[in-house]
Amino acid sequence: MIARLSAYERVGRFAAIAGAALVLLSVMLPWAYGKRALDDMTYFFGPSPLQLCGAGVAAVCLAALIAGLVALPGRGPTMLCWNDMARVGGIGLAFYVGAVLVAVAVATGGLVNVEAGGWLAFGGAVLAALGGLTLPDSPQATLSHFLTPSWGQIAAIVVAIASALFAAAAAVNQGDVEDFVVFGVWLAAAIFLVRASGVFAWLSLAAAGNRQVLVMAAFVAAFAFPFTQNGSDANMSVAAQVLTFAGTAIGLNIVVGLVGLLDLGYIAFLGAGAFTAAVLSKSAFATLSVDLPFPVVVVISGTVASLLGLLIGTPTLRVSGDYLAIVTLAFGEIFRITMNNLDGTDGPNITHGSNGVPGIPNLNLFGFDFGQSHEILGVTLTRHANYYMLLLVVIALIIVVFTNLNHSRIGRGWVAIREDEMAAEAMGVNTFALKLLAFAGGAFLAGVAGSVKAYTDTSVSPDQYVFLESAFLLAAVVLGGMGTVMGVLIGATILKLLPEKLRFFDDYRLLLFGALMVLMMRFRPEGIIADERRQLEFHDEDEELAEDVETELVVHQAHHNLEGGKRS
Amino acid sequence: MTPDLFFEQLVNGLSLGSLYALIAVGYTVVYGIVQLINFAHGEIFMMGAFGAYTVWLLAGSPTELSAAAALGLLLPAMILGGILVAVGTALLTERFAYRPLRGAPRLAPLISAIGISVFLQEFVRLFYGRIPGFPDSKRAIPFPHIEGISGNSIQLGDVSIKMTSVFTVAALLICTAFLWYYINRTKTGRAMIATSQDPDTARLMGIDVDRVIMSAFAVGAALAAVAGVAHGMYIGNIDFKMGFMAGLKAFTAAVLGGIGNINGAVVGGVVLGLVEAFAGQVGDTAWKDVWAFVILILVLVFRPQGLLGAKVVDRA
Repeated sequence: MIARLSAYERVGRFAAIAGAALVLLSVMLPWAYGKRALDDMTYFFGPSPLQLCGAGVAAVCLAALIAGLVALPGRGPTMLCWNDMARVGGIGLAFYVGAVLVAVAVATGGLVNVEAGGWLAFGGAVLAALGGLTLPDSPQATLSHFLTPSWGQIAAIVVAIASALFAAAAAVNQGDVEDFVVFGVWLAAAIFLVRASGVFAWLSLAAAGNRQVLVMAAFVAAFAFPFTQNGSDANMSVAAQVLTFAGTAIGLNIVVGLVGLLDLGYIAFLGAGAFTAAVLSKSAFATLSVDLPFPVVVVISGTVASLLGLLIGTPTLRVSGDYLAIVTLAFGEIFRITMNNLDGTDGPNITHGSNGVPGIPNLNLFGFDFGQSHEILGVTLTRHANYYMLLLVVIALIIVVFTNLNHSRIGRGWVAIREDEMAAEAMGVNTFALKLLAFAGGAFLAGVAGSVKAYTDTSVSPDQYVFLESAFLLAAVVLGGMGTVMGVLIGATILKLLPEKLRFFDDYRLLLFGALMVLMMRFRPEGIIADERRQLEFHDEDEELAEDVETELVVHQAHHNLEGGKRS
Repeated sequence: MTPDLFFEQLVNGLSLGSLYALIAVGYTVVYGIVQLINFAHGEIFMMGAFGAYTVWLLAGSPTELSAAAALGLLLPAMILGGILVAVGTALLTERFAYRPLRGAPRLAPLISAIGISVFLQEFVRLFYGRIPGFPDSKRAIPFPHIEGISGNSIQLGDVSIKMTSVFTVAALLICTAFLWYYINRTKTGRAMIATSQDPDTARLMGIDVDRVIMSAFAVGAALAAVAGVAHGMYIGNIDFKMGFMAGLKAFTAAVLGGIGNINGAVVGGVVLGLVEAFAGQVGDTAWKDVWAFVILILVLVFRPQGLLGAKVVDRA
């Protein structure tokens, strides 16, 4: 059996097996002197949670190496891509253990505080990575070709969503910067490992077949999130910010991702919604203070924002798309300057100028006071947890609007405009009306998000709505994947959560952001989660990719037909 | 408005407009050839100003120079240094951020340009002040006093005109003359015209299109650097975010004149500067910056091809 391996691979594979086993064993040894480093890695036979995380990756890596040995080349494709898993797992392990050592050195002042166990783990991980690099590529996994029973698919989706919830809660709960970074590296390694195995491809098929289950599970998990935070208002405040940001970014995604219009002043629409809600609120500083029920305020805020969208879109959408980028940027500036100037001296007093409108009272819907903490099922839900729940409802609405539009005649028209405006027009697509609709519709969603933001933050001021915020929204869309909901949610989470947790790099945030935008456009313009059509558009010379996408679509379609056949 | 006040605002408007025009040329030349809005051009202008300032620092921060030495040696050296830095930055961004994206969907280079713009601002903010002996770049840095220009003025009857204004307007005139010669009388210049008309045919005729695009970026950057020096002397200080507003205004000027049309950029810049100066005089200065953008929107509604008109290229 082993004789059929090339000499090169034989050495590599056994080196990798030895390396992964070493990491697994080293977990039983202490990795660091001093309890302060990470989560106390000082015990013999008492691995800490982070050590256990590493052991998990090592174990999977080991299992993949052995499974790859059993399913030798020449026997055709295997269920999972064992060799790819082993390779990616080994590299991930090396990064992870490396990050642990650096974190220990940073927390305790020097690499001298790394115990022998830590070095052993590092050596093993590097060995596993180098060994893994010698393995040949796996053939495509056959997992997708099996028809799993639908309960199996549903169970898999639930497990996937539950682990996502668990990972999110664990990430937010990491107190120290070092713990957060190390956990982040581990999470990235684990995600790449699962992706390499081919399970993601299968999961996405399962998800496509059980869309309702997926959506339900995702929302249940999102609603369950505050219960994992037991009364930590700070964490829920971050979560609420992430949701507001994500909701706005999804609105922007209509304009940028679907229609392909670059809007650089989108934050102004969020601001318009927030200012409208603030001015109409019962705050002592509100200038219009009308006693309206909250849902009415939400609709008014959205309408004001979309009217602004029409105002700016009507003149500019007739000319080439490049102008729109700069005009929207100019509009964002006009909005900020105007909000600053409506202070009673340079214009009528509506917004109190740079002071804005503070002291917006908490919402009270159907007797539920959003300002109070509530006990539910023995878990305290704090003020921000209440708003988080409200924002979830809003974001759910936004996602429903987005996906329905995307899959409708209107959505297809938008994509046609994005791909080739002239061709779309020649085919009878009313390009101007559709572009205007996208612009006003996106603005409406941002206005709605803004009205809730005003209540969540309790104050609104012009300096929250600067160009950089628009750029960050755009970055969330680009980073996550233009035209997809999932991608934008991930992009928004990364862009809001990282700066909150990594305060020390606050000063370098923008520098990295700028570099990231350039690198993304250069190497992965379609974003983390790629929309298939988008991916092809950005890589139209890549024949291999085109074939891959096509095979995937064919398999996808076959699944669909089979399932349809089963049902009828 | 008294005649004196009118004249004063006319001079203000002309100097401001000359600054806008010098920057706007960069937008328009690049757009004419590659149909790219080089969003980072405002930052190139900023880099030019910082380059000139660096030359002054490296020369030992001379403060007690005679007018002859300041005008004959220091100022040309500063302008040259600014041009070197600006052109270098522009060529680097072209090579690493824009060239790989040629042929990609139009959104890609635009987003890349925003990234470059933010990156350059932050780079200067974070690292310029860290060089030993250099001032803190997180706040505005006073621009050096150039004997013979800064603080001097000439009297015309009752009106005094600041020498910095004269310098700015003169800079625009000289640069435009050079630019005219370069575009119409040199080989590279004519290659630029050919490429802007039809890049594929130009390539067939043996024109190195990559080189033409690089020279377009370089020419724009050189003029922006001159504007950076003029801006430093006119306003009196420089800072890392000076390129943002200036870049926006200059782009407005380019659109106003007809983007892709070099004469248009000059005319658009001057018109925009005058409008801003007089609007600030008549109305409330708090709304000054709004006017430029209102003009931009009005132009797009009523005359999208700009004042002087330009061929509206739509190569879909």
